[in-house]
Amino acid sequence: MKELNPLLHSQLRLAVMSILMNVEEADFVYLKEKTESTAGNLSVQLDKLSSAGYIVVDKGFVGKKTRTVCRVTEQGRDAFEEYVEALKSYLNI
Amino acid sequence: MEDKKLTEKESLEVITSMIARTKQRYIGDGRIMLMWGYLVAVVTILVWGMLATTHQHVWNFLWFAIPLVGVPVSAIMANKQQRQKGVKTFYDKVTSQLWTIASLSEIVVTMACIAVQYFTGASCWSAMLIYTLIAMPIAEIAQGLLIKEKSLTVGGVIGLLVGIVTVCCVAGGIKLYANWYMPLFIFAFVAMMVVPGHILNHKARK
Repeated sequence: MKELNPLLHSQLRLAVMSILMNVEEADFVYLKEKTESTAGNLSVQLDKLSSAGYIVVDKGFVGKKTRTVCRVTEQGRDAFEEYVEALKSYLNI
Repeated sequence: MEDKKLTEKESLEVITSMIARTKQRYIGDGRIMLMWGYLVAVVTILVWGMLATTHQHVWNFLWFAIPLVGVPVSAIMANKQQRQKGVKTFYDKVTSQLWTIASLSEIVVTMACIAVQYFTGASCWSAMLIYTLIAMPIAEIAQGLLIKEKSLTVGGVIGLLVGIVTVCCVAGGIKLYANWYMPLFIFAFVAMMVVPGHILNHKARK
């Protein structure tokens, strides 16, 4: 049986990837609200996904406020699809 | 939610739950449509009024107020709406591209009309009217079908019918006199932009 990707096999990172697979892009506030996570934890997990090349994080300014926008990369899309396939084999579905 | 390890079953639950949370249908409000609808109606009334009272064709240049005001204002409003939503979906992307194509081609048609008038002296401004009342309604119908919003589809169909009437009149050599065509043009934009805009605003407030 194929091993589950450890980077995705974590609650918050998997939640973030599931959201980003469904939309074109989402900002930090939206991800925080949908995942019901803390800003600090979310920030750490976004860095991990970004370092792995699974997502792109664009930090910009809107007036004086910062706005962080995330979108999934092709590499991230492939990794997520592989993860779901592996999950199906574990669950026999 | 935390950074905790999951069982396979929990993983599946996280995925399905996040998909469900992002699946909410977001129609948006109708402020941009209202801006375009009222802008076109006001400019049309102004041009109509000035032409009727002064008989000076120079007042036709007022039409340029529509793209000059509408394009930057709608871009600012769309950016603001996007920031408030915090997310851009596939529907947002398709809708935005649809209206960008419709608007850019509208600008190209306007430029072509100016060029034809400048180089040949022939007036082909009816082409701009026809194109406006064909391209914009089709974009609106497509958006309405995409986001399953009836008011947009119905508004677009009404606009398209006025467009077809315009095509038939121009092809049949019937003059588009201001006293009947201007009210028809305003009616088309009220049906296409103002009515759906208010309906969307009403739904957004619920």
